[in-house]
Amino acid sequence: MTLQADLGIFAVSLIAGVIGALAGVGGGILVVPALTLIFGVDIRLAIGASIVSVIATSSGAAAAYVRDRITDMRVGMFLELATTSGAVCGALLAAVVAPAALYVLLGVVLLFSAAQQVLRLGEELPPVASASPLAARLRLVGSYPDARLGHDVRYAAQRVPLGFVLMAGAGLVSGLLGIGSGALKVLAMDGAMRLPMKVSSATSNFMIGVTAAASAGIYLGRGDVDPTLAAPVALGVLAGATLGARVMPRLSNRSVRLVFLPVLLVVGIQTLLRGLGVGV
Amino acid sequence: MTADRFRLLVSGVLIVGVVTSATLIALGVIGAIAVGWSGSLSGAQASADAATAFSAMGANLAALRPVGLAQLGLVVLLATPVARVGASVAAFVLEGDRLYAGITTIVLVVLLASLFILR
Repeated sequence: MTLQADLGIFAVSLIAGVIGALAGVGGGILVVPALTLIFGVDIRLAIGASIVSVIATSSGAAAAYVRDRITDMRVGMFLELATTSGAVCGALLAAVVAPAALYVLLGVVLLFSAAQQVLRLGEELPPVASASPLAARLRLVGSYPDARLGHDVRYAAQRVPLGFVLMAGAGLVSGLLGIGSGALKVLAMDGAMRLPMKVSSATSNFMIGVTAAASAGIYLGRGDVDPTLAAPVALGVLAGATLGARVMPRLSNRSVRLVFLPVLLVVGIQTLLRGLGVGV
Repeated sequence: MTADRFRLLVSGVLIVGVVTSATLIALGVIGAIAVGWSGSLSGAQASADAATAFSAMGANLAALRPVGLAQLGLVVLLATPVARVGASVAAFVLEGDRLYAGITTIVLVVLLASLFILR
């Protein structure tokens, strides 16, 4: 790679880091196609670099979101039970399940969810509701300081069992297919559990690094992580995620959803195309 | 342990992991611009190993090869989420929250098991 190509990869990764930090996703949707289509990188090494990008987004953004009280650590840790177990099952199943149909199914689910997101575009905060006995027992209630609204916003997780099952599904999918796990996590917390959008995005960011770390060992061992490629990706994404995490607290929940919606559409279309045999 | 200190501990582990890995990777990139990725800052013979061979990380570091610095930085980065889960276990234990100390310990065990099962 030339120095110009390295600078180009750094710039693309910086943008991926900003978007990932805002939307609660890992930035692989931008890094993988950019590396393969613009820089002519082999898809295997591009996916290895995207695992690095997911962990860099997660750690870079979550460091700020945890400190700023936007990440709900109890919600995150409780749901990581589901995602890590799901990811292990997914990786074990990967050898026996044909992925094409799964890509198509996941793509359709993501695109349906995008339609649902459009209906919520005007909503700043979910309706206030009391905590179910299960949510109260698990202490999945809390508040976050909203710099935009200028006060603390209280929330209580709804439909906890559904959220848990969806998170297990998100883990299963990321173990099987290695993609889309951030988008599914945001959807489970925002759509099913009705947490505020900023809390959903920041808690997803907190979680995606752990899901990715569970499979990172395989990629390293298989020789899919090329340091000469992953170095500019990691540095760009870390810088971008740090920047994005400084901006997000000042945005409205509506604006965060506006960033998330196109990301969801792109992941949905990419996933569907991959299932239909068109690799991007 | 107060909620504030709890958050600072977890956030602190993430910051240390991110800054350490970014510094090592940046040193690797600077070294690569100077002597090439598989060159050596100590003037030793160039490495014949592929850059993707993390098993050669120790040898690469011993010879002060830029690729070794980047490899170590990436390993630190990939280990940061695991360290964060470990710090969360410690924080919940210190807070006296047995339910969440238990939940987080299970996550840590599954995570460590996955690193050994999935290869």
